[in-house]
Amino acid sequence: MNPTETRLAILGTMSDLHRQPISYDLNCLQKVVADVSPDLLCAEITKEAWERADFSQVSLEVREALSPTIASMDIVLIPVASSPKQYADFTPDSGWRHRVVRNFDRLLRWGQIQANDVKTINGFGFGAFCHTVCWLTEMFWSGNDRAAWERQNQELVENIVRAIQRDRGRRVLIAVQCQRLHRLIPLLHAHDDLFKMVAYQDL
Amino acid sequence: MTLNKITVAVGGGHELDRAGLAALIASLPGLRVVPIDKNPPPQVLVWVTSRDLNDFPSVQSDTTLLLLTENVNYESLPETVTGLLSRDESPAALGIAIRQVARGEQYLSPSLATAILQKRQSKSLLTESEKSIINTLTEREREILEYLAQGLSNKMIASRLYLSVRTVEGHLANIYLSLGVHSRTEAMLMAVRVR
Repeated sequence: MNPTETRLAILGTMSDLHRQPISYDLNCLQKVVADVSPDLLCAEITKEAWERADFSQVSLEVREALSPTIASMDIVLIPVASSPKQYADFTPDSGWRHRVVRNFDRLLRWGQIQANDVKTINGFGFGAFCHTVCWLTEMFWSGNDRAAWERQNQELVENIVRAIQRDRGRRVLIAVQCQRLHRLIPLLHAHDDLFKMVAYQDL
Repeated sequence: MTLNKITVAVGGGHELDRAGLAALIASLPGLRVVPIDKNPPPQVLVWVTSRDLNDFPSVQSDTTLLLLTENVNYESLPETVTGLLSRDESPAALGIAIRQVARGEQYLSPSLATAILQKRQSKSLLTESEKSIINTLTEREREILEYLAQGLSNKMIASRLYLSVRTVEGHLANIYLSLGVHSRTEAMLMAVRVR
């Protein structure tokens, strides 16, 4: 392993699913982060909220898994969210679009519950299913919301890239809502010259 | 993917202190509590100090000693003592301190650092040669030196600057080298005079 090379891995987390009866939970996420023990952990919380220790608008994962895990470890959390808005916040308030999005949401949850084990969840088939459902869901958001979501993901990537440029040659783990992955991965690949993207197990 | 856990033993103090500390350490990720006489020896020995200030255990060279204390009135500390942790620190800080001393870095709780600085603070101004050395430090190194003067741990400095702990430790090594100091306390005393 080249000591000056930045290695980066992405971990998709599932805020909604942690409220469902599944065989993996926040303890799994805590264990993965503790085992991987990255130098930097990019997480979905704004810099302002992180510095004020205000967890009122952050996801369950950040509040109850990531923040407590890194407190006693040498992992430094890098807040990379540009706004507190999460995937579910973009759901249309009412009308037929609202009903379609709710049904896609149910389909996604059904799929996640069917998968119900870590190996399947991380498999290609399930990934393709999730990305397709998320992509279709976005099609039913308003144009403004789609643009806001895209902008949010771009800003998130810019914040990740800034953190990597500030501190070269480190092991960086990105923990974000899994619904962002199909957007983030291509955006991150545009900066392949800055880091090597690996699976989190190989970080 | 298995994390290499740092082995930690707990000694000194009363049995209840040791049992409580051992349970707390065992609950922290990446740390494993082992008996004090284990072979190979533990990487870190957390020692609960007593009123007798000279009650230090003898440890093997592979083991670093982290003292849990409220006292900074030590005449001298054995070389094996790499960290001083105050009892008023949070449980998470215990994990940070153990990891820091296990890497061979010194750890000093902010409250103890302040007490040491108050005790030993020199009012003397920097000499011209010291000023010129300070001027050779980079902007980032001076920023870290300022945090050192505030008694912050490496993790706290890293978190403030959004840098990794390893990067901060690299900067600290350069700072020690530039200032010609050999310990965190010496660097802190110098840093306070720079302010």
